[in-house]
Amino acid sequence: MQLEERLQAYLKHQLPAAVDVRVANLQRIPGGASRETWSFDAAWREAGEEVQQGLILRRDPDASLLETERDVEFQVMDAVYGRVPVPRMHWIETSSEWLDRPFFIMSRIDGCETNPTRLLTDPRFFAVRAKIATQFASVLARVHAVDWRAAGLASLGVPESEAACGLTEIEKWEAVLDRDSLEPQPVLRAALRYLRHHQPPPAQRIVLVHADYRTGNFLCDPTGEIKGVLDWEMTHLGDPIEDVGWACMRPWRWLGNELIGGLMERAGFYRMYEAESGLKVDDDAVRLWELLGNVKFAAIFVTGARSFCEGRTRSPMMALLGRNIARIELEIMDLLGA
Amino acid sequence: MRPNPDEVLAGIQAALAETLVPELTTAYAQEVAGTVQMLLQSLAAEWDTAADDLRRDNQRLRDLLGQGATVLSQSDAGNENIASLVKDIESALARPPSEDLRVSALRAENEELRRFVERMAVLIEDLLADGPSKAGAEVSELRAAVYGHLRDVAARGWSFWDLAGFREYMSRLRAEQSGDAG
Repeated sequence: MQLEERLQAYLKHQLPAAVDVRVANLQRIPGGASRETWSFDAAWREAGEEVQQGLILRRDPDASLLETERDVEFQVMDAVYGRVPVPRMHWIETSSEWLDRPFFIMSRIDGCETNPTRLLTDPRFFAVRAKIATQFASVLARVHAVDWRAAGLASLGVPESEAACGLTEIEKWEAVLDRDSLEPQPVLRAALRYLRHHQPPPAQRIVLVHADYRTGNFLCDPTGEIKGVLDWEMTHLGDPIEDVGWACMRPWRWLGNELIGGLMERAGFYRMYEAESGLKVDDDAVRLWELLGNVKFAAIFVTGARSFCEGRTRSPMMALLGRNIARIELEIMDLLGA
Repeated sequence: MRPNPDEVLAGIQAALAETLVPELTTAYAQEVAGTVQMLLQSLAAEWDTAADDLRRDNQRLRDLLGQGATVLSQSDAGNENIASLVKDIESALARPPSEDLRVSALRAENEELRRFVERMAVLIEDLLADGPSKAGAEVSELRAAVYGHLRDVAARGWSFWDLAGFREYMSRLRAEQSGDAG
């Protein structure tokens, strides 16, 4: 059975009161190296009324950059719905019975742009660039304001203390390199050792960390409003400055200059985030989290390269990313002052 | 024998762009084709110089390891990690460089030498953790030399990042390198 038919069968199973369930316009969305993303239209009749819905299928790939639980992504997005702009979650399926691999389905948010090149170079968005920048900072503050205990997210794993947030992440990414490196990584290893000796300062408070918050991971409408934050696969509890550091990284300065996320000057980003969050942004803390962020980014590529080299995936993207760690190493060495 | 490998790669890129990609009807397939194009570009950029780059890198790594063995053996007597690394480096350097010029052979040698440099770079960060004055000027100089080589390698060749976040950064770096060469 084709994917469209199988999706239709799944929806019928999930919507017992619905009749004449139809799936149409199924297409795979480019981008996203850790899960497959498919857009489709669903329609059915329920209680005599025609219902139409745009939906997104997120399915585990054959091999991924990230060995993440899709359950975590689903759980967190479901928990923050209404507090942070995210799509509405519908169903999660951990069995491979329906679509060969685990997946979840969420609402599609239409009329928005997520591609950073289009967001930053399409004239439609020029007039609202300042608003997008403000939204970028304020939405991040809203993520960090989520009461993760009340939202039932302590299951993500609470760091031992505010002081332990940095070391927890350093050890996490060191373990990824231990597991997945196919070749020596002197820059990454030296950076991790440097960070062990110069850990980020204690977190001002433990928050929900998105862990991949950047231009390219939010949906923005033509008025400049962020309507959906995407890609929560790496989310965890930790230091909010981790997200600030990640957002500041050079790979996301898509225009090739120093504008953070291609949107605003660094000082402006700090100022807006501080105003919205009530937290202080310390330059040196950001440098250390930015350094770790670049190591993490490279480690993610190392994982993908291993999957490709071991034949678990034929995705050319995994090969390309594995062969493009070098520029990240340059940035790491700059941040090390080396 | 013509066409030679880089000419073949250029031809494959052209065939993809001119014939195959226009036939692709979905955004996802076009994205995959774009990725394949970038991979081909990456291969084309290193094809001609791969063996020479590895040969030079291996010689530079041997020089760095020799410098490192000298500096480290003077730095922290009693540190077992340092003693063990120095012994391993001396043993590796006692073997002459391989005369096999196949890329696979040069790469294997490069990997062995980089493994020692990885251990050395980590130890250097340990020694400098309490500040450069405590570790001594030679350790700082060794760090600068190691990262100098790693920078040269990391700045080499083609990367898709040069079209995006690293665009101006790499332009500045290339301009500096040209200035140095001039």
